[in-house]
Amino acid sequence: MAPADSLPTDLDILVIGTGAGGAPLLARLASAGLKVAALDAGVRHPPEGIATDEVAQLGLFWTDERLSAGNDPVSFGRNNSGRGVGGSTLHYTAYTPRAQPDDLKLRTEFGVGEDWPLEFSELEPYYDELEYFLGVSGPAEYPWGPPRKRAYRHPPLPLNGAARLMQKACAEIGMKTSPAANAALSRPQEQEGYGTRHTCTNRGFCQAGCSIGAKASMDVTFLALAEAHGARIVDGAQVTALTMKNGRVTGAEFMRGGEVEHLSAQTVILAAGAVETPRLLLMNGLANSSGQVGRNFMAHVGIQVWGQVEDDLRPYKGIPGGLISEDTHRVPGLIGGYLLQSLGVMPVTYATQYARGTLKWGPELVQHLSGYNHVAGINVLGECLPYEHNRLELSDELDGRGLPKPRVHFSFGENEQKMNAHAEALMRELWDRVGARDVWALPRAAHTLGTARMGSNPATSVVDPSGRTHDVPGLWICDNSIFPSSLSVNPALTQMALSLRTADALLGDLKGQAPRS
Amino acid sequence: MTVEERSAVLSLLNSAHVTEPTRRALLERLDVRYEREFFGEAEFERLRALALRLVPHNPAELNLTGTVDHRLHSGVGDGWRYADALPDGEAYRELLAALPDGFETLDGDAQDTAIHGVQSAHPHAFEDLLAELTEAFMAHPLTQYRFGYAGFADAPEWPRVGPNELEPREVAYGPR
Repeated sequence: MAPADSLPTDLDILVIGTGAGGAPLLARLASAGLKVAALDAGVRHPPEGIATDEVAQLGLFWTDERLSAGNDPVSFGRNNSGRGVGGSTLHYTAYTPRAQPDDLKLRTEFGVGEDWPLEFSELEPYYDELEYFLGVSGPAEYPWGPPRKRAYRHPPLPLNGAARLMQKACAEIGMKTSPAANAALSRPQEQEGYGTRHTCTNRGFCQAGCSIGAKASMDVTFLALAEAHGARIVDGAQVTALTMKNGRVTGAEFMRGGEVEHLSAQTVILAAGAVETPRLLLMNGLANSSGQVGRNFMAHVGIQVWGQVEDDLRPYKGIPGGLISEDTHRVPGLIGGYLLQSLGVMPVTYATQYARGTLKWGPELVQHLSGYNHVAGINVLGECLPYEHNRLELSDELDGRGLPKPRVHFSFGENEQKMNAHAEALMRELWDRVGARDVWALPRAAHTLGTARMGSNPATSVVDPSGRTHDVPGLWICDNSIFPSSLSVNPALTQMALSLRTADALLGDLKGQAPRS
Repeated sequence: MTVEERSAVLSLLNSAHVTEPTRRALLERLDVRYEREFFGEAEFERLRALALRLVPHNPAELNLTGTVDHRLHSGVGDGWRYADALPDGEAYRELLAALPDGFETLDGDAQDTAIHGVQSAHPHAFEDLLAELTEAFMAHPLTQYRFGYAGFADAPEWPRVGPNELEPREVAYGPR
């Protein structure tokens, strides 16, 4: 056996990034017998090393500095940017609603935004496969979207304080709610390559990493499967350049422990996310004949409303997003819509958000924070339209490796502002109904999307509907940069569906080719 | 920190309800003191005076100013900054320099008036510093004890998650 630190050669596929974009396809391609490897800038974070402490878990986040510009500068780091083997799934809350069919047809419905160059019926089998494989816990009957072919594999997780308050308040105004679909286990499950994943212990620290393997992060699911089928994962490897020969991509150069190394492969799949993917393409001057690389950066409308109640809620307990409503999936006067979810919260996250959001200080700040055990939250996740002017570019400032820091311009448009206002008013009404006091709102933007959009027309998109770059033979992209529109649901499940779909397209291409000599 | 407080914190941290990685992180933080390395002496004194008004605390118990200095010296960031703002260390220095001469010795009301002034003149630096101090405050085991926060004691599980459904260890933790 080769020493563990030796690099593989003769790779069929090299994947850059091991999050929700890179991991499922890595497992699919390895299972099909291809010789595959993945590079990740971050390191491994096994569950047994995860602390129930936000500061101790900072290592799960991408803390290299990004510059945030525009009228609504996006906060990165803990807000939306993971680093580690498993990518952002290490810190996601495992919220896994499906997109609805009309999410993919925004332009058809409203005349603005973008349609996806694929149909819901193409995603549906992948959703079905994923929900089973990941072990999604959810309601027996999910009230929104087309009927599903197979019930969720596990019953829903228990509703915590915030979820029960939202349930009560929504019932009073006639809004339908449901226990949410969460990719965290309400029953134990065997996972090939990993072993037994245990039942969620109601430790509401999903955003600081799961310490028991109950949450379906990529490391305990697809990456374990991929490694069981021979995939190699090289961690701590920051890709600095794609290498090219005769117009075709040949591999990637990366820094690991201060050394520059290289891996060659027949095909390279970029899955580094909507900031690092366009950054790498722009640094290398690749795949950008459309001029669309870095354009159309989107982040969901994600305003939160918080309040404190008499009850002792302990917001650190239970799956944070226990309850959902998609009754606001379409709202008259808005393009697209949003979903509503209840929120538990970890103490440091709550405290820093309160400080930034209210700018309260002094005794007033401390007094408020002392009521943490009584805090309940509610938030939305809503459509963000793609705009050319919301973009990522390379700045003149260099990072520790001598590479240009990315600068991301982001401003809400009129629709996002209207949606934000609509959602805030609704959530304030709901929290009024449960008698919450000290109610405050935190406008924010969540997730990183767009910047290398998928489309059929090479003049207006970066990758084709399967994920091949229009410009560079052998180079594919599969991460949230390819989203043509934001969808009014959390992106992780759809991202994984796209990943499996891309893997199948790639396998189809290889089947059609003569065997390699 | 009173003897009773310290004993209560250590008792829960050293119990089987706290996992090893969690215990390690919190025990280290409980008593950590950082030597000044990033700021100059006068800057550091001014930062300490500012921090006491922004997030009132006992500096003998909570080393918030040292935590900020240490973070800046180590070069670790939080992943982003406002594009039109200086890097954190420089921005904080500018904020401190904008406070009036003798800020440290002003009475509390006069300090607060001066703080309102720099808050409007340097909004991004003010927000970042306030958030960083708040983080250090809320992450400290002593603050958590005084607020009755027991979320770190999550082993082996939280069997109930509804309102007012507390475990004995949650009820017991915090001032009477």
